[in-house]
Amino acid sequence: MASKSLKNLTAPLSGNNPVIVQILGICSALAVTVKLKPAIVMGLSVMVVTAFANLVMSLLRKGVPSRIRIIVQLVVIAALVILVDQVLKAYVYDVSKQLSVYVGLIITNCIVMGRVEAFALQNKPWDSFLDGIGNGAGYGLILVIVAFFRELLGSGTLFDYEIIPKDWLIKNGGVYSNCSLMLNPAMALIIVGCIIWVHRSFNKDLQEK
Amino acid sequence: MKVNTNSNVYIIIYSVVMVVIVAVLLALAAESLKPLQSENILNEKKTQIVKALGETASYEEVVAEAALIDADGKLVDTVTKNVFAALQNVKGSRANGLFPIFKAKNGCVVVPLSGDGLWGPIWGYVALEKDMNTIKGIVLDHKGETPGLGAEIANDNHQKQYKGKTIFKGKKFMGITLVKDGVKSDSKNIAHEVDAISGGTMTSDGVTNMIKNSLESYKSYFEANKAEVEAVVNEPVTTEAEGAEDEKSNDKNTENNGK
Repeated sequence: MASKSLKNLTAPLSGNNPVIVQILGICSALAVTVKLKPAIVMGLSVMVVTAFANLVMSLLRKGVPSRIRIIVQLVVIAALVILVDQVLKAYVYDVSKQLSVYVGLIITNCIVMGRVEAFALQNKPWDSFLDGIGNGAGYGLILVIVAFFRELLGSGTLFDYEIIPKDWLIKNGGVYSNCSLMLNPAMALIIVGCIIWVHRSFNKDLQEK
Repeated sequence: MKVNTNSNVYIIIYSVVMVVIVAVLLALAAESLKPLQSENILNEKKTQIVKALGETASYEEVVAEAALIDADGKLVDTVTKNVFAALQNVKGSRANGLFPIFKAKNGCVVVPLSGDGLWGPIWGYVALEKDMNTIKGIVLDHKGETPGLGAEIANDNHQKQYKGKTIFKGKKFMGITLVKDGVKSDSKNIAHEVDAISGGTMTSDGVTNMIKNSLESYKSYFEANKAEVEAVVNEPVTTEAEGAEDEKSNDKNTENNGK
């Protein structure tokens, strides 16, 4: 039992990762990964929402009329997202401004709805909760990896802390230049592609024949 | 007892109960977090006021007085709290004949701007030098203009252009106009014009109108206080001298172009 529950938590981190294996939630992965801080906050927010959406839907699963179950899921997810948005506005206002519309767009993040529909409606609350945490964390992990490369190569900083010295820059007489292409969403897609490539080369069972 | 979860009655009762519970939860959360959120919003406004002045110190260190004035430029109320209440809804208080103004310790004033862009509200703060004519700095922000086009008004590179521009031509109020295709070097009003955002014409027009409409209400205040500065200070202060020189050189430009 314990190991089975644990598997719900760890499988989405690598072997069943929502972003790089199931290819879900790509849109927001492109949008919020210019800097590390918003990426981490976005990852945590999605984790909270998937975990509690799974928990609530799993508790309700026997009473939900199957004819309106999608509507019920939407109401639960939307309510959680609004809660997260309110909390962010109250405690980390600058980050919430950076995330702007993307917090609201967690509602449309297919990972949340996908896990509720595919997992929570058939499983017990605790398993569903762990599955939600795992998927949120798997999503957040990819976001952080992408944001790490984009912030380091695009802005020369990490968490806004200067990593590449300013003297190295060409405009200050050095030989280095930040790659502003990294700040464009297209590069996030390319980095995600590279992560999938590396990941599959280590996980032979994921390779399509 | 086995309940039929697919009967119409059950579905209706279920959805009503669910919606009521969710509504109560969200209302509770919104109400309890409101004080913290409005404090954050207020802090952001203060930061923008300081940024418009080109300072980096805290609001309390930079701003000497926050006041409300009426259409004749008379002081209405100097209680800070009311100024920030008016700042929450600049347009509304403008319609009621109340205009917030912030006086910095170095004699500059900051005026809040409020208007409409293409998709939604735009706003900002403009800081004027002691002569109540030359722009010291401007901060512009927007709710949802097109990223990369209209949203560029919030960009520092765009806002830098306003510095040193003047809002009066002699006695005449001009405001600042955002000019499509860039400011022509032979323009007669070069001191009152900045480059518009290419691809963001509607937003640029919105900024032009916002600056005109917002600053026009302060006209009598500017004129009254400008006179005061001139009357009190006999020896020209450097900023004033620079402003005068600017005007002169502009006049020269226009003359040359006339020839």
